[in-house]
Amino acid sequence: MRQLGTLLTTDLIQRLRDKSVIIFAVIVPLALMGAMNLVMGDAMDMDLETATVAVSAPEDDQLATALVQTLPEIGLDVEVTETTADDVQARAESGDAKLGLVIPDGFSAALMAGEQAEITAIRGDGAGIETSVVLSVVQGFLDRAGASAVAAAAGAGLGLPPAELGEVAEQVTTGEAAISLTTGAASDEQLDPKGALVAGQAGLFLMFTVSFGVLGLLAEREFGTLARLRSMPMNPNLVVISKVLSSFVLGVVATSILLAVGGTLFGVDFGSPLPIAVLIICAVIATTSLTFIVIKLAKTSEQASIIQTILAMVLGIAGGAFFPMSGGGLLGSILDLNPVAAMIRGLGITSGGGGLADIVTPVLIMLGFAVVAMLVARLVPDRGAMA
Amino acid sequence: MTQTATEPTRTADGQHVLVVEGLVRRFGDLTAVDGVSFTIAPGETYGLLGPNGAGKTTTISMICGLLEPDDGSVTVLGQQMGPRKVAPKRHLGLVPQDLAIYPDLSARENLNFFGKLQGLTGTELKTRVGEVLELTGLSDRAKGPTKEFSGGMKRRLNIGIGLLHKPTLLILDEPTVGVDPQSRNAILESVENLSGEGMAVLYTTHYMEEAERLCDRIGIIDSGTLQAEGTRDELIRLIGGVDNIALTGSGDTVAVAEALRALPSVAQADAERGSLRLTVHDAPTAVAQIVTAATSSGMQLSDVQISRPNLESVFLHLTGKALRD
Repeated sequence: MRQLGTLLTTDLIQRLRDKSVIIFAVIVPLALMGAMNLVMGDAMDMDLETATVAVSAPEDDQLATALVQTLPEIGLDVEVTETTADDVQARAESGDAKLGLVIPDGFSAALMAGEQAEITAIRGDGAGIETSVVLSVVQGFLDRAGASAVAAAAGAGLGLPPAELGEVAEQVTTGEAAISLTTGAASDEQLDPKGALVAGQAGLFLMFTVSFGVLGLLAEREFGTLARLRSMPMNPNLVVISKVLSSFVLGVVATSILLAVGGTLFGVDFGSPLPIAVLIICAVIATTSLTFIVIKLAKTSEQASIIQTILAMVLGIAGGAFFPMSGGGLLGSILDLNPVAAMIRGLGITSGGGGLADIVTPVLIMLGFAVVAMLVARLVPDRGAMA
Repeated sequence: MTQTATEPTRTADGQHVLVVEGLVRRFGDLTAVDGVSFTIAPGETYGLLGPNGAGKTTTISMICGLLEPDDGSVTVLGQQMGPRKVAPKRHLGLVPQDLAIYPDLSARENLNFFGKLQGLTGTELKTRVGEVLELTGLSDRAKGPTKEFSGGMKRRLNIGIGLLHKPTLLILDEPTVGVDPQSRNAILESVENLSGEGMAVLYTTHYMEEAERLCDRIGIIDSGTLQAEGTRDELIRLIGGVDNIALTGSGDTVAVAEALRALPSVAQADAERGSLRLTVHDAPTAVAQIVTAATSSGMQLSDVQISRPNLESVFLHLTGKALRD
């Protein structure tokens, strides 16, 4: 145990003096986060602009008026200007309005009669996501109005008097919805784009950070120190174990720094420290387990670098280090078993207020990944550093 | 078949420091070491002399427990050696051919690190580190990173690490490869002193002069096989006390060699480009007859050199090739 401590301590001292681990495990990923934030900053901010809507609505049309009055109340910043149909077209084309709506004469009457009623929507120059939201609201209103027309028609078919038909139609249009959707507290929380960027880069560079242990082992062989170490009166496995432990320590420290500093720089709150610590440790265990396979395969540090880079890029990209990945069926299931994806998912849960009980699934995925990697490492013939 | 010139020495209790018996190691179809056996007694310096690729480093790797032999055994002070054996490794001090030191650590840190792995602690560790720094002449540079050291300083530290725990058996694998003459001489003096202090030393080299200077007994190894072993004089006697004559000049050296082989005093004649290398009985007497025969066979001589037999001659005699081939 004392010899293992000596091996581990000396290895960590050398890593720090070498400075490459500080550069590649901390400085480069932070710089990359900053660069990606600059490049994709607008897309990540997702701040919706004011939706300027020009509307032409017939006077004294009850449903048209209701629609126009609904628009400013949808939760977005919507600026409605009522004008003529020609002016709506002009405003949309000039960009003064991001959306133009032309509601035809006899709109309410047509709906109540169960006839076709058509609203013309014109997307203006510079229309963005807020325009789409407004259009969705209009579509929702029309769907509900259409349903009321159907209900009124059905009532008429049953012989209801006209006064009651109107009440039914109004009830359908304005009544409370019978079915509602409730959002869970934590389990389905997703990281915002900046949080996903920080977590993704931390996950990706974790794959590189843990490779320093393998590279250190191969460097020992290339320097000739491995032969000397193996001639020492100790279990030769201690050399490999010390490198793996070194990778683990570096991985935990570097990932913690990345999440803490990245979170501070980009204003991301990943949540409670304890579940975050558990996620980091499990992610480091999962990624470090891959080094056992690399140790078996790589004969030189160049080979180890190539193998580790391939693994890091494949798992990093598939795990959503750069942008969210999704897939259905078997592919989707495989993507979900990725430790980088599991860590990002776990951090999404903790950022939404989730605790230890909520991160069981990503934790199990990462630990399961580690077990499988270790089993694979046992099956792979040893042609690497310790052969 | 190994030709043994002497019965190896033993300790007072009859125990050798190192006993190597029938070592075999194969790499695929290649048999790198094939039935190598020898012993080393306390205070004895044993040289393994052979060209590059002869099997010296593979033999040492098995002796140090870095490689598992396919056959045969190694015992150090009566304890069986192997990759997973811990106890016999306590008696070993390995000085690998490569500079097995950490460039980002200072000399003192390197010594402290390997000393701790050898089991040294506290005052003993501190004392030994100081002694080895003094012995290797690195006390003044103990705190500087070794990556700033000269090649000779690194070599001295490399040897110092092997000595740190006062091993019973010191193994030096070609420690002077790539070393400047001054450092090389210092290394050879160190080995001589250690042997004088009672340490058993296994020294591999392909430099004949090092083996002749340092080693009490020498094993000549080639193609994985120990060809012969004994003291320098015993090995020379193995080849019948012959001398060497080198003829340099122009002419058909192959035809001249053929002609010289017919002379009764010539045991062996090898033609090289522009020269002839002869193994002869009683060179001072035979040289006149050889020169006459060579010139009458058409060779224009520019130089004639007579040399008494040495380990190079022994190696040539045993393997048919030069040490540096």
